[in-house]
Amino acid sequence: MRDHFSSSHPLIQAIYFVAVLIFSMLFMHPVFQLLALTAAAAYVLLLKGRRAVRFLLLGMVPLLLLAAVLNPAFNHAGVTILFYLRSGNPVTLESLLYGVAAACTFVTVIIWFSCLHVVMTSDKWVYLLGRILPALSLLLTMSLRFVPRYVEQAKRISAAQRCIGRDVTQGNWLVRARNGMTILSILTTWALENAMETADSMKARGYGLPGRTSFSLFRWGTRDSRLLLTLLLLLGIVGLGAAAGENTIRFFPSILYPDITWRSMTVYTAYGLLCSLPLLLNGWEEWRWRSTVSAS
Amino acid sequence: MAIYRIRELSFSFPEQGAPALAHIDLNIMTGEFLTLCGRSGSGKSTLLRQLKPVLTPHGRREGEILYAGEPLASVDARRQAAEIGFVQQSADNSVVTDKVWHELAFGLESLGIDQQTIRLRVAEMASFFGIQHWFHAAVSELSGGQRQLLQLASVMAMQPSVLILDEPTSQLDPIAALDFLGTLARINRELGTTIILTEHRLEEVLPITDRLVVMEHGRIVADGAPLKAAEELRRLQHPMFRAMPSAVRIHAGVGSKLVTPLTVRDGRGWLLAHLAEEQVAPAGSGQHEGASSQTRSETAAARDVNPDAGVVAKQALVPALRFRDVWFRYEKHGADVLKRLSFDVQPGQLYAILGGNGAGKSTTLSLAAGLLRPYRGQVRVEGRDPAKVRPKELFHGGLAVLPQQPQTLFVQKTVALELTDMLRDSKLDEQARQDRIQEVIAFAELEDLLDQHPYDLSGGEQQRAALAKVLLLEPKILLLDEPTKGLDAFFKEKLADLLRRLQAKGVTVVLVSHDIEFCASYADRCALCFDGAMIAEGAVREFFAGSSFYTTAANRIARDLWREAVSVEDVIRHCQEETTR
Repeated sequence: MRDHFSSSHPLIQAIYFVAVLIFSMLFMHPVFQLLALTAAAAYVLLLKGRRAVRFLLLGMVPLLLLAAVLNPAFNHAGVTILFYLRSGNPVTLESLLYGVAAACTFVTVIIWFSCLHVVMTSDKWVYLLGRILPALSLLLTMSLRFVPRYVEQAKRISAAQRCIGRDVTQGNWLVRARNGMTILSILTTWALENAMETADSMKARGYGLPGRTSFSLFRWGTRDSRLLLTLLLLLGIVGLGAAAGENTIRFFPSILYPDITWRSMTVYTAYGLLCSLPLLLNGWEEWRWRSTVSAS
Repeated sequence: MAIYRIRELSFSFPEQGAPALAHIDLNIMTGEFLTLCGRSGSGKSTLLRQLKPVLTPHGRREGEILYAGEPLASVDARRQAAEIGFVQQSADNSVVTDKVWHELAFGLESLGIDQQTIRLRVAEMASFFGIQHWFHAAVSELSGGQRQLLQLASVMAMQPSVLILDEPTSQLDPIAALDFLGTLARINRELGTTIILTEHRLEEVLPITDRLVVMEHGRIVADGAPLKAAEELRRLQHPMFRAMPSAVRIHAGVGSKLVTPLTVRDGRGWLLAHLAEEQVAPAGSGQHEGASSQTRSETAAARDVNPDAGVVAKQALVPALRFRDVWFRYEKHGADVLKRLSFDVQPGQLYAILGGNGAGKSTTLSLAAGLLRPYRGQVRVEGRDPAKVRPKELFHGGLAVLPQQPQTLFVQKTVALELTDMLRDSKLDEQARQDRIQEVIAFAELEDLLDQHPYDLSGGEQQRAALAKVLLLEPKILLLDEPTKGLDAFFKEKLADLLRRLQAKGVTVVLVSHDIEFCASYADRCALCFDGAMIAEGAVREFFAGSSFYTTAANRIARDLWREAVSVEDVIRHCQEETTR
């Protein structure tokens, strides 16, 4: 499915991901965790479709269970004792729940990163970096060009060397190591030789003249302004709520968290909206599309 | 108005006796399409690099170059960067960034142009070159031809008034090359950009050229409109005449008084007019006569290529290379690259596999070398499965592969060390090793190159050094991947000569190539690979007589009269036979 959040300005995406990543790492409160985990899982499903189902069921769920079970086996703090292990150590409710919460944080962060990987493509990073450090951004875009080239050339060299009986798959380990070094040495010579031509091509197109500008395809639109305002508003509410301690929870020795009030409900709502911002945007775009199609 | 005025220009590289350029006098007019040709090492590239100061190598220079009336050296750097566009041979090395749109903007960014203007220029160039469909693509996903077009477009985005190109099509297949040259002609015609080009594909480039300049040993030997320059070369009996288009050579070989044709179209018209003039009825009973002379010339061809090949081929029970209903794909769910591919190569043959990009030619070579295995069907090298034989056995005294990039074989500092290194694991004693090495040096004519670094050699020389290296393994079957890529006419002849001599020693040669002219001139059998299967296969003349587009220029000129006339020499011989009869 097409994701509409990906077509917003890279700056919006960067702010969003930085915010949700930091909040997911810091907030241990179960309501916050549940909101973030659900939103992240839903977004990765939207981005990756069927591949994400496998990723969640076979990767994330076992990881979550494993981490949740491991913590009480080693951590014995807490006042509510459930039962004793054969070693005589107690298994407590607090440490079990702490394990679940820690595992939840871990898994949520991994899922966010997997969304980020799809949404923030290399050219967006290069663009954002270029705003701050133009020289570094050129370096980055050049390495993105060279890495696939070198890999391809390494394969060619390896095939050619294999055909004269000098391959890493042939002979004993000493011979293999030597042949591997040969391939690396050929690749280096090749890379240096070709870099001369690349340098010529850059010079020929005026690289090195003072006052270089940085071009990008990204443009700031009114939709981006609206998104930025929404983001800042939600961030403000969640930030204030965090300052007021709405997101805190104490696990040891006994579990203690703030009462649920109107204030806390507001902060929960804001956090829920923040995490599901891309989902809401997609829903909105979907509705808009249908209404324009049916109107015409 | 002259955009470049070159006066008495001489140039020599440091610590080299002979000057690379000597007393060059040349005026290049605004809007001119100038093609510069000459064999490798004649000073073409050196001359081009004198015209773009940032790329001029170090060395001693005399004489002067004026650009638009002022000395080139005093032209402002920013103006030089924008107005003098330079396109290099290898697009792979020249494309700097990872995305197409970014590459288009690269030069404009260097000039410090603002976002809005860059956006406009990039859009203009993308539309002019038809790049909009792959505007957002990553450079690594592009084909070679697209990459070269991208390099050209990114230079054109700076709106140069002169475009200098150093063998831009040498790494491209024929179709991509034609496309590229067509674009150049369009730039010249529609934007009025001056074009200075070095090129080996004269057959394709001369029809769009205004002026041909031929160089040798750093001097200009002929200069003028293409036909006039060709006439001059002929008068001088210059070896470069052999690189001229087929129509010109046939005309010269026949000795016609009519106007010289340049293209296939003109050649066809001229041939008919010539025969009419000589009062010969063009073969009216063409089909019948063609058929009989075809068999005649075919047996003749088999005889003069290799006296033994025909006999051996019929007797051999085990073919040197055999593909039986081979199916192959790279990925489980991917498309099939080879689909029921079958062919046999008999021992001692020179077998050429032709075909466009992505037809499966290179995959076929990898399968033959045992680097890949088919998922269905059989591959046999002298009756054995190459993927199951231990590489050491397979590649010593059996099969050898000359890769498309000879550099992938070079490890050492000099050519001599390369050869010694090849025998480091050999069981031969010192004397026998030296003898082997001396033998291949003499065979590949490397005597003068032994102390050079392999990377300092020209393309053709690198290839000979790589071939020598591979021959030290004493192969019985030699596989070559695009051996004529980037070679000029002379290196091609030299390569053909080496292959013939190998054949005479009983080596089977299999090559995959785009180069129709080369295969037509030197192969015993040709096969056309298309969509993963062999579409046509046969002895050279039979093969080319059967196709109408996929054939040599000489054949396209004369095929209505003599279907089996494949090379320029064939056509000339037929003409002479017709006129003397």
